[in-house]
Amino acid sequence: MPEAGIGFKREAFDALMAGDGFDAGSLHRFRERALAEFEAIPMPSPETEEWRHTDLREFDLDSYEAYREEHPADTLDDVKPDLLEAVGDVGDRAGLSIQHNSTVVISHLDPEAAAKGVTFASLDDIAHTRPNLLANRLHAAVPSDRSRFTALHAAFRTGGTFVHVPAGVKVDLPLQSLTYVDHDGLAVFPHSVIALEEGAELTFIDRYVSPDLGRALSDAVVEIYAGPNSRLRYVVLQEWGQGVTHLSVQRAHLDRDAEVRTLAVAFGASLGRAEAESLLTGDGSTSEMLGVYFGTGEQHFDHRSIQDHVGSQTSSDLLYKGVMRDRSDAVYSGTVVIRQGAHKCNAYQTNRNILLSETAKAHSIPNLEILSNDPVKCGHAASVGPVDEDVLFYLQSRGIPFEEAERLVVFGFFQEVLDRVTLPEVKGSLERAIAAELEREPEEA
Amino acid sequence: MATETLEKKTDTATLEVRGLHASVEGKEILKGIDLVVPQGEVHAIMGPNGSGKSTLANVIMGRPSYTVTAGQIVFKGQEITKLRPDQRAQLGLFLAFQYPTEIPGVSVVNFLRSAYTSVKGEKVSALAFRKRLKEKMAMLGVEDQMVARYVNQGFSGGEKKKNEVLQLAVLEPDIAILDETDSGLDIDSLKAVAEGIQRLIGPDLGVLLITHYQRILNYITPDRIHVMMDGRIVLSGGPELAHELEQKGYEGFRSDLGLEPAPKETAKGGPA
Repeated sequence: MPEAGIGFKREAFDALMAGDGFDAGSLHRFRERALAEFEAIPMPSPETEEWRHTDLREFDLDSYEAYREEHPADTLDDVKPDLLEAVGDVGDRAGLSIQHNSTVVISHLDPEAAAKGVTFASLDDIAHTRPNLLANRLHAAVPSDRSRFTALHAAFRTGGTFVHVPAGVKVDLPLQSLTYVDHDGLAVFPHSVIALEEGAELTFIDRYVSPDLGRALSDAVVEIYAGPNSRLRYVVLQEWGQGVTHLSVQRAHLDRDAEVRTLAVAFGASLGRAEAESLLTGDGSTSEMLGVYFGTGEQHFDHRSIQDHVGSQTSSDLLYKGVMRDRSDAVYSGTVVIRQGAHKCNAYQTNRNILLSETAKAHSIPNLEILSNDPVKCGHAASVGPVDEDVLFYLQSRGIPFEEAERLVVFGFFQEVLDRVTLPEVKGSLERAIAAELEREPEEA
Repeated sequence: MATETLEKKTDTATLEVRGLHASVEGKEILKGIDLVVPQGEVHAIMGPNGSGKSTLANVIMGRPSYTVTAGQIVFKGQEITKLRPDQRAQLGLFLAFQYPTEIPGVSVVNFLRSAYTSVKGEKVSALAFRKRLKEKMAMLGVEDQMVARYVNQGFSGGEKKKNEVLQLAVLEPDIAILDETDSGLDIDSLKAVAEGIQRLIGPDLGVLLITHYQRILNYITPDRIHVMMDGRIVLSGGPELAHELEQKGYEGFRSDLGLEPAPKETAKGGPA
């Protein structure tokens, strides 16, 4: 069992690499390079546009632990009850992978899906057994040198999930990956690589869960490769407890006629910064990006998105909706890019925020970069404000007390997103999460 | 007279407005209104645009942007001037809005169930509520699809007003204020809405019918008619007053009563 100790110095790295069952073999050189990048790249500066809204200059990386091993489980019956509870009611699924702290403790794929050639395993396993599957996929969409945190991730990642669906294979039920952290002071590196070949279909749910912790870091990467005419639904449920700093980058590459629909739910963490990007390279590809966030207490959310249209006749539609309460604050900044030579594109971007207290804040920063000379259909809309007074009066005039009126309005506000969620289990889990947030005691300002 | 009514009929849910003054954004709109509407009676308030009819409706219901500067609103013997709108509704008051508000993402059926639970003070099962709602829908000729839609979103003018009447039917208030429920409707919708209201009128419901036009009175015969001008009730009488108004017009009434002609700039639609 490797003893990485505290912090992300060379000694910690060497200790990890020496560990048994670690994927150092095929990825050693790559990790070495990432470590060098990590050491060379400074902490993100709030003076740059990308990090203007999240200041990490005081963030003490050296106080985190790089690794915490847990015992693998042979069957689901051997998995700790807390973890199973965290997996939640997701209905029938084609496969489940559970990472507990730094170890993927179980990864199960329905034999029927396996027989069709679907691969679903931890990244560590794949690096050992079929490293060729990772070529041009692991850290291709999200390169290690993108930021100090992606470099840290590339050097120190353990666990993670890899999915590959062969051409023409449709996986009817969702695959789910849970990352569960209950070790105070730990840094985890959730990583999902999802690759769909031509005509493949898949639904994948990533879920991040922890109890409230003193301090933890989640440095996450999601890489999506949607082959020609493939269909992917990707859901990420960020339900970290208080004390967790969550920094994630999700990037999808869409080939010809591919369709990728993503839903990002961010209710947890003390600080949550999530970048989501769709690169619509293939002609006729379609991207839908839905986002829902709910801030309470002193939560800080920084959501960034890019809808990058390279191919012609590509469509993208983004809808992020957030409710902020207490002293929480949220920033959404999104960019739509229509590249030169991209013809007949549609791009829509909408961000709406409701503030439930005078001390909560939200900012919305939309950007359009149209480099194509061709006419494009683009639209963006943003709003920030309290619950509409006329709506409140209308509800109250029907006898509905203020708290109940506010609850109805908030559910109604999120309904526009819920109406576009097709998986009943995800819809149910989202509804329960909204209800739980609303039931939290408001904090005194 | 007002106090007398109250003492005599403690069992009936009487709405009383006494010397009511109210302003919006610092501008006085109601300049001393006295009015008594007992349960079981229909009172119509008629008056030109800008006379303060809608303001009166909103002030009685407790809209926060309106300030009562003097006077009282008494309902069921209790002063309600400082109560929140939801408390007034729970006591048995209802306001049908002139411009019903859209509530994105909240279906009519969920909205109504929540309102019903709040007003009746008892939990009702989804099934029992559905049954009750179905009865009222059948009575008013409301189609199933309407209650599944989000409140007032994409509703036609007629559907919005029908939805107000449906709420009135389900919530069963003691006194309902109908704020220009007849406005913005074509003849067929007006007929449907007015007939719906007519079905609900009875000994258990008092109505304060606010209207600009006489045409809804072809369907609903009020017990009393009050003519409102410049923030005051200038004349009250029986149903025959409507015909007189029809013939003379509001301006004719003005000169009869020796009032100043209406200032031009106030001849605008009342606040929503």
